[in-house]
Amino acid sequence: MKNSENEYRLEMTGISKSFGVVSVLKDVNLKVKPGEIHALLGENGAGKSTLIKILSGVHQKDSGKVILNGEEINPKNTHDGQVLGISVVYQELSLVNDLSVAENIYLHKLGASKFWMNWKGITKDAQELIDSLGFKIDASARVRDLSIVQKQVVEIAKALSEDTKVLVLDEPTTVFDPNDIKKLFNNLFKLKEKGVSIIYISHHLDEIFKIADSITVLRDGVDTGTMAVKDTDKDGVIRLMIGRELKDLYPVRDIKIGDVPVFEVRNLTAKDTLVHDVSFSVKPGEVLGIAGLGGSGRTETAKLIFGADKKKSGTLILNGKEIKTKTPVCAVGHQIGFVSEDRKEEGVFLPLSIRRNISVTSFKPISSRLGFLNVDKEYVNVLDLIDKLSIKAPSSEVNVNNLSGGNQQKVALAKWLSIDSKVIFIDEPTRGVDVGAKIEIYNLINEVAAKGVGVVVISSDMPEIMGIADRILVMHKGTFYGELQKEQFSEENILRYSIGEPLKQLN
Amino acid sequence: MTSTIKQQLSSPGGILKFLVKYNTIFIFVLLLIFSALISDVFFTSVNLSNLLKQVSGIGIISIGMLIVILTGGIDLSVGSMVALLAVTFAILVNVFILPVAIILTIIMGFGLGSISGYLVAYQKMAPFVATLALMTIARGLGFIYSKGSPITFKTPGGEFMSNFANNATLGVPNIAIVFFIIVIMAMVMLRYNVFGRLIIAIGSNEEASRLSGIKVNKYKFLVYAISGALAATAAIIVASRTNLGSPNMGMAWELDAIAAVVIGGASLNGGRGTAINTLMGVLILGLIGNILNLLNVPSYPQQVVKGAIIIFAVLLQRFESK
Repeated sequence: MKNSENEYRLEMTGISKSFGVVSVLKDVNLKVKPGEIHALLGENGAGKSTLIKILSGVHQKDSGKVILNGEEINPKNTHDGQVLGISVVYQELSLVNDLSVAENIYLHKLGASKFWMNWKGITKDAQELIDSLGFKIDASARVRDLSIVQKQVVEIAKALSEDTKVLVLDEPTTVFDPNDIKKLFNNLFKLKEKGVSIIYISHHLDEIFKIADSITVLRDGVDTGTMAVKDTDKDGVIRLMIGRELKDLYPVRDIKIGDVPVFEVRNLTAKDTLVHDVSFSVKPGEVLGIAGLGGSGRTETAKLIFGADKKKSGTLILNGKEIKTKTPVCAVGHQIGFVSEDRKEEGVFLPLSIRRNISVTSFKPISSRLGFLNVDKEYVNVLDLIDKLSIKAPSSEVNVNNLSGGNQQKVALAKWLSIDSKVIFIDEPTRGVDVGAKIEIYNLINEVAAKGVGVVVISSDMPEIMGIADRILVMHKGTFYGELQKEQFSEENILRYSIGEPLKQLN
Repeated sequence: MTSTIKQQLSSPGGILKFLVKYNTIFIFVLLLIFSALISDVFFTSVNLSNLLKQVSGIGIISIGMLIVILTGGIDLSVGSMVALLAVTFAILVNVFILPVAIILTIIMGFGLGSISGYLVAYQKMAPFVATLALMTIARGLGFIYSKGSPITFKTPGGEFMSNFANNATLGVPNIAIVFFIIVIMAMVMLRYNVFGRLIIAIGSNEEASRLSGIKVNKYKFLVYAISGALAATAAIIVASRTNLGSPNMGMAWELDAIAAVVIGGASLNGGRGTAINTLMGVLILGLIGNILNLLNVPSYPQQVVKGAIIIFAVLLQRFESK
């Protein structure tokens, strides 16, 4: 380090940036020391990603200074950023599906290398890198064949394949289960010891308080200051993030659960996935939680019931009558809804308007026999739902890709409310959604349940599932390992069932 | 609709935004003015009705191409289908009475399109590959059935069609009227019918469509079948214009149709495109050909100009998305 008297590795001062007339960052400061884990917090749209993109060279700042190791830098593109030792793991995965894990990890070096590639060497290096992270992934496997968790690990390995001085992680754990998170944290601690500066972006405050040394909160493009983690608490941070007092993240509700199950599953086994012998029932008005580690078969169970995956055996009973759901078309016909965990790929139609997104499931009541739409009726339905779910948009004609994650999620939900679903499966209801929108989504789930719908929520976020579910089923290796009643809810109990351990006996 | 246009025009910088948004119409009007200035023959009724007659056949298959492209697919077989179906119609019209010949030809087009549709929707074949195969098969069959030479209409039914195709109603060529009716039907279907909504949804996100309970395969199948039926309609028109069906008809028309759809601002990834803009795309391509002919530009430079216009139109659309 040239400038040893300077205690900061990275200093971003007075950063401003606008896109057209929209001012995204206003005079933002961010200073990170070597060997520090610095949490960058803020609601969606607060400007975190833009700040990071300025650092890595994706965007250029309008004004301000970026100083790395005492020298002002001006990365014009991501390559410049990488050369300077700035590595970013983005929220949206940026891997090339058709290349191998090793090729992806060293992709940025391919251009700069000699004419011939040493594939064997690269694969070996990549394997060592992944092994050192403590994950089991074959470096010669195609990225296409990896799970979303594994892809995220590859993304992290890619960032670490360089001589990284500043590592930025943008929501790295959204797809991870607690076990993987622990592994990731151990790696971060190791990097920290080596003196790497880490900027960590997350909506999970629990994580922040576990690993971060200091916190900077952005709100509406302005930084509200940096503080040491030990000087603050969750409530304080949330207050800074949303600029108002927050009583309860998980709203209390009047629980009126019916006696007779609205939906029942008996001995359901999948043809192509690990899901087997799944049995459960959900009562009207009940919020049933499904927990478990990533890869335990939670999403697969929901997709199986919904008809998106093929069944081998098992019975589904809706309102006392046996039903068949060979395809999603059948499931929707029986008024079963499914909100996918992968909002962008499977949940919403990004290039289409809110109106077109919402009415896609509910054409029948608003169209004639020949399929001609009653557009007036459509508007009434859609505007009603936009209002009810408080989807924040200037009009129903705004394309969904212009909405924040939280509002996109509400649109994905609205689709199923418009057909009066009897059972709704919601997979990861608040992934990548900011705190404010989270509460609105929880309220929404409660309202839906209060109408007598059976709501099944799948979530990796343990505080979340304990906060909103009336009962939790825990999956382990493709089937339900145990059931927890409200009084048994604890992270430990969920984790025990998740890894196939019995609960501790209370004496 | 009109009120939003007014709003746009009255807002600051609104005229520019308006032009960018309706860029295909803008290009069309520009070309129209340019053509009128450059040639005094252009705005004669003979020339304009010729122009419309020339574009009608390609125009009709462009509408089929549009709905296929909206689902994220492509149909390379339409040009060859026009040849095969023109030959078919010429054979049929010499055997059956006219309505039967027309209906059988359209059913056959629908059936041929169904083959592509089946391969794409149910066998998960890439649209490019499936319709490429159909393209060579259809062209080959056209030559086999016609024994390589044109088949002329010999019956009163054929004569009636020939008269219909070469005459005009209220100054508008009859075949252009058929084309416009198809454009209007497509507009209505895409805007106000569930069918249109669903194919756009499928094109913008197929997996989300599937998980929303949409019968994705059915609709993917249907768009190719409809494209086939429209190719049959185009075939009947072009055969009737010349009073014969030839296996050389519709050569490379699929490419012109794709060009028209793309100039009309549709995305080849699916989910974006409108019938009115495709109409503009067809007219723009036709206009270019027409004005270059009037200026006595030989056909090779014409191709160069056509290509340049495609690039220019698509570049202009970039601004639209910003």
